[in-house]
Amino acid sequence: MKWEGNKLMNTLTSSKKSTRKSHLLLRWSWREIYSAQLWPVVAALVLIVACVVALSALAMRVEKVMTAEGRSMLAADLVQRSSNPINPAIISKADELSLPQSAQVSFRTMSFSDSSMYLISVKAVDSEYPLRGELRLRSADNTIKSHVLPGELWVSDRILGLLEVAVGETLAIGDAELTISGVIDADPELVFNPFDSIPNVFIHESDIEKTGALQLGSRVNYKQFFNGSDNQLVDLQNSVELQPGERWRSDEDENNRGGFIEKAKQYLSLTILMVIAMASLTLIMTCSHYVAGRAQTIAMLKSLGASRVWLKRWLILQVSLLLIIALSVGSLLGIIIEALLRLPLTDVLPETLPSYGLAPFFIGASVAILVAIPALGIPLKKLLDTPAINVLQQTESVTKTAWWLVLFPLCAFVYYYLDAPLVWLVLLGLIVLFMVLALISYGFIVLVSHFKWGPSMSLAISRLKRSPKQSIMQLAALSGSLMLIAVIWLLRADLIGDWQEAVPENAPNVFAININSNALPTYLAHFDERKIERSEAFPVIRGRLSYINGIDVYRDKQYEDNPANILRREVNFTWGETLPEYNAVLEGQWSETQGVSVEQKVARQLRLNIGDELTFTINSVQVTAKVNSIRDVYWQSMKPNFIFIFTPDVLEELPATWMVSAKVEEKDNDLLNQLSRDFPTISLLDFRVLGRKLQGMLEQVSLSLTVLASIAVLSGLLLMFTLLRLSLKQRQSEVMLYRTLGATKQRISRTLWSEYGLLAVVAGIVATIGAEVLVYNLMQWGFELVPSLHITLWPALPIIALLIVLGSLHSLFKQLLKPL
Amino acid sequence: MLEPILKVKSLSKSITAHGNKLSILSDISLQVSSAETVAIIGTSGAGKSTLMTLLAGLDVPTSGEIELLGKPLSQLDDEARAQLRGESIGFVFQSFLLIPSLNAIENVTLPTVLRGEGEDQVKARALLKSVGLAGRELHLPTQLSGGEQQRVALARAFMSEPKILFADEPTGNLDKKTANNIIELLFAMNRDNGTTLILVTHDEQLAARCSRILRIDDGKIIEQINQGAQSGQDEVGGK
Repeated sequence: MKWEGNKLMNTLTSSKKSTRKSHLLLRWSWREIYSAQLWPVVAALVLIVACVVALSALAMRVEKVMTAEGRSMLAADLVQRSSNPINPAIISKADELSLPQSAQVSFRTMSFSDSSMYLISVKAVDSEYPLRGELRLRSADNTIKSHVLPGELWVSDRILGLLEVAVGETLAIGDAELTISGVIDADPELVFNPFDSIPNVFIHESDIEKTGALQLGSRVNYKQFFNGSDNQLVDLQNSVELQPGERWRSDEDENNRGGFIEKAKQYLSLTILMVIAMASLTLIMTCSHYVAGRAQTIAMLKSLGASRVWLKRWLILQVSLLLIIALSVGSLLGIIIEALLRLPLTDVLPETLPSYGLAPFFIGASVAILVAIPALGIPLKKLLDTPAINVLQQTESVTKTAWWLVLFPLCAFVYYYLDAPLVWLVLLGLIVLFMVLALISYGFIVLVSHFKWGPSMSLAISRLKRSPKQSIMQLAALSGSLMLIAVIWLLRADLIGDWQEAVPENAPNVFAININSNALPTYLAHFDERKIERSEAFPVIRGRLSYINGIDVYRDKQYEDNPANILRREVNFTWGETLPEYNAVLEGQWSETQGVSVEQKVARQLRLNIGDELTFTINSVQVTAKVNSIRDVYWQSMKPNFIFIFTPDVLEELPATWMVSAKVEEKDNDLLNQLSRDFPTISLLDFRVLGRKLQGMLEQVSLSLTVLASIAVLSGLLLMFTLLRLSLKQRQSEVMLYRTLGATKQRISRTLWSEYGLLAVVAGIVATIGAEVLVYNLMQWGFELVPSLHITLWPALPIIALLIVLGSLHSLFKQLLKPL
Repeated sequence: MLEPILKVKSLSKSITAHGNKLSILSDISLQVSSAETVAIIGTSGAGKSTLMTLLAGLDVPTSGEIELLGKPLSQLDDEARAQLRGESIGFVFQSFLLIPSLNAIENVTLPTVLRGEGEDQVKARALLKSVGLAGRELHLPTQLSGGEQQRVALARAFMSEPKILFADEPTGNLDKKTANNIIELLFAMNRDNGTTLILVTHDEQLAARCSRILRIDDGKIIEQINQGAQSGQDEVGGK
């Protein structure tokens, strides 16, 4: 080869002008990503964006569906309920805000047919009712109507039987003679309360006067329904001060919502949080890996004269490109995942889904950027500080780690989750657990090293012990991600299990109340003859709580504003030898005499403790009992439940009626009719429609949880896959060296399998411990459910960890062991 | 004698390791004139590479003064030293240090891009042609042999028309035949560009082609051999 020096010098001089502004930086950055240098970083970011977009989009939709469900049960978005006519100021404010409105007046009155009479509940509504939810009114010719018109009378099925009338016949509602237009198939406001449900009818509000039922002093409930945007509803609620007896009800209302939806939501935000944590971990690992491989390039560029500003620009360009790719691909993937996630939910989600708008994309991008600031910023800052001398000599960088960058996501996190103690519990728990897990894992390795092993295992152990910092990091990451996967899955199973236990398929759907002691044996015999599954019979006595530790709850100031509803009304008491097995005792112990067990929410509201003395007034008789236990009651379970359950000695002398619940199939419909006829004084309440509704809702929520958990587990697996492959890639040169030094393929393969196998098993064991601790605490403190151990997890998790290692590394091992 | 382009006075470098002070270079003084070729030789650990990092402004001495192209390095901060390197200094490394994701021509244009002047493709193409890589412009480093990679590195070093070229064991990773070709090329380009060459090597025969040899041992210059003007065209190995 000949050096064409002089000719070149001419070219060099003449080319001065031909310099063109280049896009080299852009091309370069793109190739860094494209040529597999940065793809793991992009993959981690894509994972964060995709998961957050998909989960928050689905969460939003599910939330909207749940809210819609809640609102349809309210018959509107917001309801003002009052014992007096609705304050005109509220109505005019709603008019001002142009909110759709509807009105309802409900009261009880006697209803008479030619042969019979019965106390019924009347709902007089305007033609707009209901604003949400489904009112199905079926006339004689089976046409379905959804609004009540003047002059119409729609009755519940039971009334036809009780009053021996048919559609088309006349019924007297108070003083008004109305022709029965048809039966009520579905009432949006259907609620589960066996003691409150007396048969109801719908009439138009313009017919109220004719009934003559509204007299001075009558117990009447007024409701005004409103629809509107959240802001408008808040505006409306803030526009007036509530008077005594007035109350707002929205889907936020705890009783209406049902505890399990609240818990499902908590689970959802937890899952998203854990997915973000896992993806952030992936991001940190992949970025550190990238930086480790780039230090010499930076030093070289510095030696060639690259200024800090130039290098910053270069890195910022790469990061921006990376973010743009990750955000676009992630968002797209998020949309696809959300659509996939919805597939199994098709049957339970409504046909036209509420749109999730741009919010999930904004959340996805914000989370990714906030996480990326420290995850990429800290290692990249370190990279930028690489001294130029590193191009020739390896020196330790003396610059400080830019930990302050962590403040960005931390502050955002604090701001966002300020009032979510569950999230803080999890986060703190995670940090502590990660540290503890890492140390325990390393302790395991050290422990294992004391045993006698074959050469491959000994080599593997010594390798793990040689670089403790790296091994600890790896173990923490592995056991941490395994633990999160396990937690997400276990929580799902525990929550669903708990609900299924609370609302089992065979939950009772029919309640009989007001059974007097004489009729009880005959009545129960009817069920037993047909082999219908029924509960034991509960004695029911109505009364009030009067004194707590001798303090009059009606007079003493400290109970004036107490939120406990039971201070304002009579409640149903029962007594028994034991507590129902479906009520978990949270505190104290059931006693044999002089005891009362209190439902936990009421106990909390009244600040009751074990041993407190409560005095009740029952038909002007006072009885006293000591709080012996505090119980968890799942009101949605559709089983007979009571706030106060007494030991027999306290109440058994007092006159009581009885209640019983049963699971009645369609084939036994005739029995219900017969019972209604034979025992007219016993109220037989049919909750089959409501039961199906509850079951459907539960099914929907459970399925959503399973799908969400699956995607979270999948992202956890991806994290482990990335971690393992990155860690093995770092070993490439070492393996090459072993091969060069003559180590057999078999020896290297065995050593690698021993090392990663040991890592997997140790991480699996430690993750099991961590998962049990975390799930126990989350169930106990977060979801307020009874925690339990998961024995199958103990052998399963280490085996799963081994399988993950096998799956992630098999192909890479083969690649590493290829002939040199 | 020509005006010195590099002046070094009482240069020392020591580091502290495990609480002990370890002297790597002590009391080094020398001057290098424009267009001179200087070989720094010595055994491993003698301090040759450290001396080069100090002379090129990649690191700072513990004591002593370096004046490079009339500028005292001790008065320049990191950024100013980087600027000086970008404008006047070229490097050739033992391990080539090409950017794997950039092709040959892009690697060559890098110094001008770093200076913010954009890609001078014409100049880079001419340089690649001059090192015998015409037609290989679009090849990535992984598609080039070791010798070809070092040629790209040579082209890159001359891209910024440096006044001084530092070469650290430029043939250390190459077979003998390829090494000879590279050295030929290096000296020829150096001569035609009128560049000052400071070459770190442990190869005595390669050093013999330089006009001056500085032998370093235990952090001190123990011998200086002025060989007069060398042709630079002798075959390495004295064939």
